[in-house]
Amino acid sequence: MIWIEGSALGDAIRASGVWAYGVVNLVHIAGIALLFGSMVILDLRLLGWRRELPLTAVTSITVPIASTGFVIAALSGICLLSVNGGEYIGNPFLPIKIAAIALALVNAVALSRLSAWRMKQSVESAGAKMHLAIGGGLSLLFWSIAICAGRMIGYW
Amino acid sequence: MKGLHTIFTAIVLSLVASIAAAHHGWNGNGEEQFELTGIVEAPVSLSGPHATMKIRVGEQLWDITLAPPARTERAGLQEATIPVGAKVTISGHRNSDPKRFEVKTERVTYNGKLYNVYPDRE
Repeated sequence: MIWIEGSALGDAIRASGVWAYGVVNLVHIAGIALLFGSMVILDLRLLGWRRELPLTAVTSITVPIASTGFVIAALSGICLLSVNGGEYIGNPFLPIKIAAIALALVNAVALSRLSAWRMKQSVESAGAKMHLAIGGGLSLLFWSIAICAGRMIGYW
Repeated sequence: MKGLHTIFTAIVLSLVASIAAAHHGWNGNGEEQFELTGIVEAPVSLSGPHATMKIRVGEQLWDITLAPPARTERAGLQEATIPVGAKVTISGHRNSDPKRFEVKTERVTYNGKLYNVYPDRE
């Protein structure tokens, strides 16, 4: 935390004027909106909502938007930490947020390896439905925790 | 599946509601007005979510949290306005945790001039 605050990135943002932090914060929220907005659609479909829509149709739209949003949020998040990293030492919400993001990513990788995910036909077996629903439910839970813990960092 | 869907929707909604309830920037601070007079050790910094400075009162170094950078600047407080070593008086609300020496500050007085970064909080 001290290291990232002392980095050239932190120096550059701190020297960029009174609106710099606000603008980076705005980009971070835009990334989260793209990520979470598309994940809600995907996760609810995995949970069984609108099952008449083929899974591949839903994933072909949501996965690229979610991935783009994640990259934007992660990069801007590193920038935010670099401005005043030392302030977050002892803040319990930051490790909760990081852990929730790690779990969400592990869950996403596990989901993408399910045979039910890779199967292209639109008819899902009962077992496949259950696996997809568990993955979708965990995804919704982990991303929600990440967002809530992230927001609470500023109120500790 | 319908049940699962309902449960997770409920979790998301309750988490969102908890954020809305907690969204108050002055919650972690004492009710009563808190004043300090000390010597500036780290000058005003207009970066980060809030402008900051550090002042020393006796042995204790205090973290002075000001308004957001743009607002602090509009109140007339620039990074170079108050030099290190200057004597200032601040008024605001102390962090409710007695172990933390931090004051969320509304007003700074330096050299007879008042910088009111939260003029709506009288």
